[in-house]
Amino acid sequence: MTNSEIRSPGVPSQGVSSPDAPSPDVLTPDVPPPGPGSGGGTKAPDAPSAPKGGRDRYFDLLRAVALFRVVLYHLMGWAWLPVVFPSMGVMFALAGNLMARSLAGRPALTVVRGRLRRLLPPLWLLGAVGVGGMVLAGWGPDDDASPGWWWLHLAYWVLPVSDPPYGESLSGVHGLITDDWAVAMGVPLWYLRAYLWFVLLSPLLLRALRAAPWPTVLAPIALSAVLESGALSVPGWRLEAALSDLGAFGACWLLGMAHQQGVLRRLPRYVVPSLAPVVAGIGLWYALSDDLRAGHDLDDMPFAQSLWSFAAVLLLLHLSPSWAGWPRPLRRWDRLITLLNSRAVTIYLWHNVCIGVAEALWDHLWSIGWLERTTPWLLESPWPQLPFVWLLTALCVVCFGWVEDLAARRRPRLWPDGRAGSHRA
Amino acid sequence: MGGGRRRRSGRRSASRQARGRRMIPLRLRHLLPLVVLLAMMAMLMLRGYVHSEILADYRIRPEAAADTVPQKILDGGPVVDTRGGGATSLDVPDHRIVLTFDDGPDPKWTPEVLDVLKKHHAHAVFFITGTMASRYPDLVKRMVDEGHEIGLHTFNHPDLSYQSKKRIDWELTQNQLALAGAAGIRTSLFRPPYSSSADALDNASWPVTQYVGARGYLTVLTTADSEDWRRPGVREIIANSTPEKGKGAVVLMHDSGGDRSQTVRALDTYLPELQAEGYRFDHLTGALKAPSAHTAVTGLELWKGKAWVFLVAASDDITGVLVVGLAAIGFLVFARFGLMLLLSAMHTRRTRRSGFVWGPHAPVTEPVSVLVPAYNEAKCIENTVRSLIRSEHPVDILVIDDGSSDGTARIVEDLNLPGVRVVRQLNAGKPAALNRGIANARHDIIVMMDGDTVFEPSTVGELVQPFADPRVGAVAGNAKVGNKDTLIGAWQHIEYVMGFNLDRRMYDVLRCMPTIPGAVGAFRRTALNRVGGMSDDTLAEDTDITMALHRDGWKVVYAEKARAWTEAPESVQQLWSQRYRWCYGTMQAIWKHRRAVVERGPSGRFGRVGLPLVSLFMVVAPLLAPLIDLFLVYGLLFGPTGRTIAAWFGVLAIQAGCAAYAFVLDRERLTPLVSLPLQQLLYRQLMYVVLLQSWITALTGGRLRWQKLRRKGQVAAPPGEAAPAEAGRAAAVDGGAA
Repeated sequence: MTNSEIRSPGVPSQGVSSPDAPSPDVLTPDVPPPGPGSGGGTKAPDAPSAPKGGRDRYFDLLRAVALFRVVLYHLMGWAWLPVVFPSMGVMFALAGNLMARSLAGRPALTVVRGRLRRLLPPLWLLGAVGVGGMVLAGWGPDDDASPGWWWLHLAYWVLPVSDPPYGESLSGVHGLITDDWAVAMGVPLWYLRAYLWFVLLSPLLLRALRAAPWPTVLAPIALSAVLESGALSVPGWRLEAALSDLGAFGACWLLGMAHQQGVLRRLPRYVVPSLAPVVAGIGLWYALSDDLRAGHDLDDMPFAQSLWSFAAVLLLLHLSPSWAGWPRPLRRWDRLITLLNSRAVTIYLWHNVCIGVAEALWDHLWSIGWLERTTPWLLESPWPQLPFVWLLTALCVVCFGWVEDLAARRRPRLWPDGRAGSHRA
Repeated sequence: MGGGRRRRSGRRSASRQARGRRMIPLRLRHLLPLVVLLAMMAMLMLRGYVHSEILADYRIRPEAAADTVPQKILDGGPVVDTRGGGATSLDVPDHRIVLTFDDGPDPKWTPEVLDVLKKHHAHAVFFITGTMASRYPDLVKRMVDEGHEIGLHTFNHPDLSYQSKKRIDWELTQNQLALAGAAGIRTSLFRPPYSSSADALDNASWPVTQYVGARGYLTVLTTADSEDWRRPGVREIIANSTPEKGKGAVVLMHDSGGDRSQTVRALDTYLPELQAEGYRFDHLTGALKAPSAHTAVTGLELWKGKAWVFLVAASDDITGVLVVGLAAIGFLVFARFGLMLLLSAMHTRRTRRSGFVWGPHAPVTEPVSVLVPAYNEAKCIENTVRSLIRSEHPVDILVIDDGSSDGTARIVEDLNLPGVRVVRQLNAGKPAALNRGIANARHDIIVMMDGDTVFEPSTVGELVQPFADPRVGAVAGNAKVGNKDTLIGAWQHIEYVMGFNLDRRMYDVLRCMPTIPGAVGAFRRTALNRVGGMSDDTLAEDTDITMALHRDGWKVVYAEKARAWTEAPESVQQLWSQRYRWCYGTMQAIWKHRRAVVERGPSGRFGRVGLPLVSLFMVVAPLLAPLIDLFLVYGLLFGPTGRTIAAWFGVLAIQAGCAAYAFVLDRERLTPLVSLPLQQLLYRQLMYVVLLQSWITALTGGRLRWQKLRRKGQVAAPPGEAAPAEAGRAAAVDGGAA
């Protein structure tokens, strides 16, 4: 069964692009965004691996690229995009890396609590706006098996240990937002659910990693293979979805932790570049023989996903140059990347809704007869919508981003692109 | 090729700073091999294309409704004329039969069909495909010359109802091109693939007919299908092809696509039988009393056609050559592996059996001189010298500083170690430094090493043991890569271990070892003196001297336990220039010693056994190696993909087996072998591009100039890289490498 079946039962692949979503990574947990320019001189909590304890700008770059790729993919729907850059695996790896970093210095309970504190408020804000909208649009207790369940499942909007529910065929507001906007809002939430579980499991995972590094890292891939083979049948789509994502991305999370623990450094350096392409090749072969195409891509093939993402993350972490500052060609992107990193959760949570709004607004152009006659290809193309989507996403960053600062117990900012003192809210 | 020599790369950078890079030739040396590869690939693809391995489309549309086809067409004759937007049918008059042959020409059956037609003075229409016409243009020419008519049957026979208008245009144009190239004409007759009689036209094929008519073609369908492609027997074919009493007909037969002997035999009976009944066999326009369907092609179109036919013929020829080349390289690779495994097993058995001694004077205990030529080795020299001090064998250490600018000599002097002498000279090159060292050496056995190499305590002792045999003039040690942590290091490690444990053992047994590695080798002073010491004639003075020793009748052997740890190049750029020097130097040395082939005595033996073997394995075989990748890419894209991958993995497995054997012989851990698959996809290619570059240098003037190398140093560096700043010093160093 495909992920979309798992994730939105009864809603066979909606217009919403598939559930790959990016992640908030955790964003930048405990390390506050760097000061202007220099990129990194701020205080450093605990960082056994990073030389100076500052932000690793390489990781910031990966996170920004991953986030950009997710938005692009959700707009375009190209099946090859997750192959070119497996964003989700990368985001989980970065999050795992930070988690291991935090766990190295502080008690597990504190770390987990801190991480949840930073993750949940942005979700609650989305839930307040989103669930409110859904109820207004006619979504209610009758939409679940029984009204009692509906109320119970609503609790997943508060603590997403399983996928938060959403209205499945709510109509949009004509000309303002497309139908199925609620699905667009709800589908990406699997990432938060998976992330939450990884955070909860991390203290355990770290112990396992220290005891037996490589068996632990590879265990999720084995889980994915078992699920793929059908040898293990799981009751209920909620558990199945959780296990499936654990299998697909667990190895990436663990690789991030293993990188922080120095496990990768203990290998001879020729090992990773020699083996990763083989793993990637098997994953790609598996995906291709499983009919890789638009609408049926890596996100619907947890096993292929687990191999491909594992290999890509392995190579990216192997390269890991650990930049304390930006290399010259990237310096001009500093503020953009800083902003993407500081608002990763907000962008991730809201971008899919923005795509729905952008599409609905764009459709107004069809009413201009001249455009319809002369340049219908322009109206059909998703490209001109891309800047538009980012514009709307920027608007969401301004409107909803401050909650990330609150969650991090920082002074709320409107536009945290790293410039000192600018844009206080 | 056996790795194992190490020359200093520091020198290159020094001179590069002096001159900077010359960009244009640099690009050319990458470009030229690339162009050659691409041209070969294009030829392969052209051949695959006219052999229907590429772009072939075997779908056939099932029957469809026919309500859009005009009824008069369905009921009409076999020749459909939709030119000018109309739709009319033409029928063949009574007592006329138009024989049509589809899918040809075929090299075997078409000539037989033509012979039978000629014998019975019959004419026919041949609907040729572009692919077959391109491959057998002479047969098309013969058809036209013998008065037959030609029609188009598309380029590679797809069901046109599946194809776009663009593709249909292209199929027709390409088919005309082949026809023009073969016979210098165009034709206006066309028969769609998979067509039959007019009443079988349907909603899928009718638009094609209309479109083709709009392009000016007459569509020729059939009235009688001989069904000869089923091979139903001669009588059946004749029966199928015979129209009802006296009526005219267009009869479908095939001169291609399988065994057509029945068709030929049937024709031989059918033609006279029906001629006796009053039938005439004419081509189509003859039967319809219309002007000929052929028009002569002239000018540019004709030349394009001729060029096309020529290219197709060339691609067939080149592919033939490439396939022979692939077979040759396949044979060489396997023969080499087999020989290596066999001979290295023999060598190992011989040298490892208990009680083995090299010769009557064993063990060799006399003190030896160790020469360490050094040029800007400040970073390494201390380790090198200290490793020698720990030698278990008595040594006299002589560091020859070749005009270093980084205080190498001073570093050694400041160590103030007993038994270590430093000789300084103005920068004059490695051969000169070695010759100076030989002149200053105190002992009769001389060990040579590089300034960045580290010996084990037992290395010198193991290295000189073979001199117990008075016939041994030189000994090669076992150079090992010290920095094998990176990918490029691991690849070189694999290469070195195989080169020393398989190649060198093999060459030892065959008595034609081409090279004593500069990193670890030992020589008998008398042998060196007899051949005149080191020479700077080539970029590879170590290969040069080794060949000279062979020609002088000395044995050159391999001492596996004499291990030296050397630092391998860590960047592609460094590796490239190192290998370019080795490769070009080896070619120079082979050329320099070419006269050995016709000489008598030991020199002749080396010339007739060693030189050809070395040339074959080190210079010719790698030149053919790109074919493996060429056919791999072709097979992956167009060929039987599964079989190609399986074959590639098969070869990889054999290689892995050989490598594993070499690792076991050397008691190495097997883990670096995980990088073997990637090595086959990246590293090997680098090596043969370097070799190709050496060939280009050799063929474009290097050959003329090489004698002057020592003075001018022009070819001292790869073309386009920095040539030495001062000519004198240049050539110099490091066998001339800048």
